[in-house]
Amino acid sequence: MTMKFQDYRTVFQVSSLALVLLAASPALSLIVSFPRSGESFSELWLLGPNHMAENFPFNVQAGEENSLFLGVGNQLGNSAYYLVYVKFRNQTQPLPNSNSSEPSSLPSIHEFQFLLEDGDVWETPVTFEILDALVHGDSMVVESVSVNDRVFQVDCSSTWDSENKGFYFQLFFELWVYNSERSTFEFHDRFVGIWLNMTG
Amino acid sequence: MVTMQSTKLRFLSATVLLFALFSMLMFPVSAAGNQEVAASRISEAEWWMAQAYEAVLDAESADADVSGLLVRLNDAAELLSEARMAFDGGDFDEAAGFAESMSEVGYEIVDEAELLEIEAAKARVHSSWGFLAISVLGVSVVVVASVLGYSFFKRRYYRRLSKMKPRVE
Repeated sequence: MTMKFQDYRTVFQVSSLALVLLAASPALSLIVSFPRSGESFSELWLLGPNHMAENFPFNVQAGEENSLFLGVGNQLGNSAYYLVYVKFRNQTQPLPNSNSSEPSSLPSIHEFQFLLEDGDVWETPVTFEILDALVHGDSMVVESVSVNDRVFQVDCSSTWDSENKGFYFQLFFELWVYNSERSTFEFHDRFVGIWLNMTG
Repeated sequence: MVTMQSTKLRFLSATVLLFALFSMLMFPVSAAGNQEVAASRISEAEWWMAQAYEAVLDAESADADVSGLLVRLNDAAELLSEARMAFDGGDFDEAAGFAESMSEVGYEIVDEAELLEIEAAKARVHSSWGFLAISVLGVSVVVVASVLGYSFFKRRYYRRLSKMKPRVE
C-alpha cells in the first residue's frame, strides 16, 4: 500500500508541530507550571539510645538519665517551620486525638523549633530524667522531669496498674507546623511516644 | 543619753521595718513587671520569627538559594524555644534576653531574605529572556526548515510522479 501526497503532508504537519513545541518548550516552561507529583507529608520518629528502633527506655527510675533520638522529615514540597512539643502524662490523661486532629490538652514540658528544607531531615538527641517521684499508697507522683537539662514541674500521678503491674507514665512528642496563611502553628496530626514503667 | 540611744534604736528599727515592708511590696510588682516585659519581648520575637520565615519562603519561591538563611533561622528558632521555656520556668530575665537576641537575628534574616529575593527575581528575568530568545530562535529555525523541507519534498514528489509511466496489466 503506497501513501498518497495528503498522507505525507499530514505526517509533515504533525512532525513540524511537534518540533515547534519542542523548540518553544523553554519559553513555555515560564508560563506553564506543573503541579508537584506525589504526596506531601511530614515524618516523625523516635529512635533508641543506639540510634536504632530498639532498646527504648522502659523501666526507668528517678535520678536515672535516659536518652532517645527524635527525628522529623520534611516531604511537604517546600521549606517548613516545625515545632515539637514534649508532653508527659499518666495512663488516663489525654493523648492527641487522631480522628479530630486535636492535640493533647496537656501543657508541654519542653519544645523544639526548627526549619527544614524540602526533603531534609532533622534529628536531635533527647535526654530525660525523672527527678522527683514519690509513692503514696497505690499511687505514684512524679513531681519534676528534666528534658535536655531543663527542669519542669509536672506533678503527674499514676495509680498502680494491677494488670500490667506497674506505675505507668508516657513521654510523648507532638508535631506542629507553621501555617503561614493563618500565621500560627497548627497540630500536624502526628505524635510518637514511649511508655515508662516507674515501678523499679 | 539612754533616751537618745533608745530613740536612735527605735528610728533604726522603724527604718529597717519600713524598708522590709517596702521590699516585700515591691518584689511582686517588680516580678510582675519582669514577666510583662518578658512576655512582650517573646511576642515581638515570635512576630519577627514569622516575618523571617515568610521572607525566606518568598525568597525560596523566587528560586533563591535559602539554605544559608535556614541555618540562621534555625539558630533563631532555638533562641525562641529557649525564651519560651525560660518564661514557662519563671526565669523572666533569661526569657527576655533570649527573645531580644532572637528578634535581632530575625530582623537581619528578613533583610537578607528580601535582598536574596530581589537578586533571584533579577536572575529569573535574565534567564527568562534567555529562554525566550532560545525559543524564538528554535521556532524560527523549525518553521523555516519545515517550509523549505515541505516545498522540496513536494517538488520531488511531483517530479517523481511525472516520471512514472502508466502500467497496463
